[in-house]
Amino acid sequence: MIKIEKRNDVSRSIYFLTPVLAIFLTLFGGGIIFYILGFNPIEALKFFFITPISDLYGLSELLVKATPLCLIAIGLSFCFKSNNWNIGAEGQLIFGGIVGGGVALLFYNHGGFYVLPIIILSGAIGGMLFAMIPAILKTYFNTNEILVSLMLVYVAKLLLDYLVVGPWSNPEGFNFPETRQFSESARMPILFDGLRIHAGIFITLITVFLSWLILYKTYLGFQIKVSGLSLKTAKYAGYKGKTMIIIVFMISGACAGLAGVGEITGPIGQLHRNISPDYGFTAIIVAFLGRLNPVGIIFASLIVALTYLGAETAQIFLQVPKYTGQVFQGMILFFLLGSDYLLFFKIKFLGLKKNEL
Amino acid sequence: MNTKLKVSEISKIYPGCIANDKVSLEFGSGKIYALLGENGAGKSTLVKILSGVVKPDEGEVFLNNESIKLNSPLDAKKNNIGMVFQHFNLFETLSVFENLSIDSDKKDEDLRDLVNGILEKYNFKIDLDIPVLNLSAGQKQKVEIIRCLIRNPKVLIMDEPTSVLTEQETDDLFISLKQFSKDGILIIYITHKLKEVLSLCDEVAVMRKGKVVSVSNTIDEKIESLANKMVGENLNTIKKKINNFKNSEEILKISNLNFKSDDPYETNLNNLNLSLKKGECLGIAGISGNGQNELFQILSGEIITEGSSIMFRNKEIGKLNPRERREYLMAFSPEDRISQAAVPELKIYENVALNNFKSSNFFEKGLVNEKKIKEHSKKILSNFSVNTDNVELKSQFLSGGNLQKLIIGRELITSPELLVCFNPTWGLDVGAINYIHETLIQINEQGKSSILISTDNDELLKLSDRICVIYKGKLSKIMNADTVTAEKLGILMGGGTID
Repeated sequence: MIKIEKRNDVSRSIYFLTPVLAIFLTLFGGGIIFYILGFNPIEALKFFFITPISDLYGLSELLVKATPLCLIAIGLSFCFKSNNWNIGAEGQLIFGGIVGGGVALLFYNHGGFYVLPIIILSGAIGGMLFAMIPAILKTYFNTNEILVSLMLVYVAKLLLDYLVVGPWSNPEGFNFPETRQFSESARMPILFDGLRIHAGIFITLITVFLSWLILYKTYLGFQIKVSGLSLKTAKYAGYKGKTMIIIVFMISGACAGLAGVGEITGPIGQLHRNISPDYGFTAIIVAFLGRLNPVGIIFASLIVALTYLGAETAQIFLQVPKYTGQVFQGMILFFLLGSDYLLFFKIKFLGLKKNEL
Repeated sequence: MNTKLKVSEISKIYPGCIANDKVSLEFGSGKIYALLGENGAGKSTLVKILSGVVKPDEGEVFLNNESIKLNSPLDAKKNNIGMVFQHFNLFETLSVFENLSIDSDKKDEDLRDLVNGILEKYNFKIDLDIPVLNLSAGQKQKVEIIRCLIRNPKVLIMDEPTSVLTEQETDDLFISLKQFSKDGILIIYITHKLKEVLSLCDEVAVMRKGKVVSVSNTIDEKIESLANKMVGENLNTIKKKINNFKNSEEILKISNLNFKSDDPYETNLNNLNLSLKKGECLGIAGISGNGQNELFQILSGEIITEGSSIMFRNKEIGKLNPRERREYLMAFSPEDRISQAAVPELKIYENVALNNFKSSNFFEKGLVNEKKIKEHSKKILSNFSVNTDNVELKSQFLSGGNLQKLIIGRELITSPELLVCFNPTWGLDVGAINYIHETLIQINEQGKSSILISTDNDELLKLSDRICVIYKGKLSKIMNADTVTAEKLGILMGGGTID
């Protein structure tokens, strides 16, 4: 007989250590997959996880990828902590990118220090407004935010497609589906010559700090925590549930919008069809791997960013498709959920009792 | 086809609660048995044991004098024990027939013939090929019953079957059940509705606090005698000194309160009117599930009702949420202390911060003032004799009694003018019960008012100045506590009228 019981109390250190365990299990699982594909697992894992960050350029690329992931995941943690399941950060990122990109095109060939802040702000507002759609539909029409936010991703993607092919396409671009390159005043400053790492990382770090402040030191953060643990209690305490849903979606959408605008004004420099390699979806894994904790999310974003880089290196050196990166992301989530199950429940193996024989 | 079912010395202990304490009962086919008791009396546990969902710690079940092992619902099915739960287990989007065929190993054509036979025999009118979501509650229940009948049950257990039915549907159900009984199926009917017991059942077993307190023929019983057995008739406790509040100031007035719920498992409230004087305790009695939950939530502001008026200290507060009502000096202690009044995963001081009001300064300019909250929490812990002084302790580690003291303390330390509490002592030990009772008497002595919604008549008679009974969402007339007797309460709780 096997019996599954809920554990009464879970130690805090183990709670934050299980993500590490999940990462090791992922490495192990990845090794097995490489072995089955006919590679030496140790070598392959080295190509995947060590080679990409063994030089300065690689480290800079790691931060370039971690910057949007961390930013989006931080925003999502507000939603997830309060039991709101915003799955559409990808759409909010794209919409933020569209609005920010639109403003950047508006200021085409326009100098001035104020241009970039305006673009960044409009990107954040774009993401925020886009996230308010599922929030308002949820609070006033009882719709399911998972479905609405997810479906809006495709709306944003198609809108972007339309804009870069149609009205916003580069007049001198030979009908390529892309806009003009933004002018210099609309680009994120590069931190080091020759590397792609840009000022967006500071936006992310400031957001992490502010989020920590809000979540742990303010009344709003306290209300988010209580609502996440027990909606019944939040209702009893008289928290304004509807307002809070809208606020967490706004925060989350603004973060995703910032990530989007950071991408187009940073490494990309224009709008085209693929401004995000699914950062908005991958950030969900980051948020949970980081235990919805601001510091945890920083680490988690670095690790998940590495799977993006590793996939590219592996594609070059091992000739495996770059989608291997998604396999690793999937494995991280799988092992994390698996170890969480063992963390919150214990399995008891009971001997057969005499009367059952 | 003679069926005998016997449970012998069944015990089931959950942490902190004895759900079944050496329960022994015998049933024989041809009769309809009622299992009567309050929520938490242990009927559901017993039924779960009979249907294989829960395993007893001790005791045995005998079917036709043979000991049977019920380790899973499958074992119950094998032994021809059928069960219809209060909440339906049907796939809404599948058709009636698909729902029936899911757990049947018969061929579709055979099953259809069988089901049509059952429909004809018992005069059920259900279209087998429409999706279940198009059925009424009564029809869904019939589908569940048919699902049991397919297996030729010897025993059919019905758990609170009428809670979602209309009166017509209830009448139909009773006709069917009587027919099943005639066909030799042993029927065990679980309920807390007294009238149903008298009109349907032949024998009645009453459970209270995990024990069987009486087994009798329904012919020998009346509504009030059953009600007394259910809630206990031990009235030897000292009553509070009853005061005369004629000249006191009126603090709360509710007029014309109506509530209609979309949820069929909730109770609608009909035209409630009540008023409360300063320093008075109004007791609201009733068998659970008659609208107490809804009434509490309306008083606390968790449910806002349209068109009704709640005047508190001459201000209309009907549209305010719980936090806003607290600012007007109301306080609330809900029934579900474990997961509503407090969050088990939160620390004691965080749970204290749930009752936030402006003058507390827990949150200044939106920031958490942890020091203030902790100081305040320490004060509650010592003033209300909670058995710890560690405000960092998670509240899940407090015993029920200490948790309730913390909650009552949190609500009372603000010196509210009105405390609304709902079953404040359920599941507590005698020491904690006495402490809570003394505290509630004390606040009345200090000129503060209270509304006590409770299913424990002893408690109500001990603490209330005036008492009324809630039955099917309606309030009885409000009586002075010294004129109330257990018999009167029993009649009103069963839906009868007095005078």
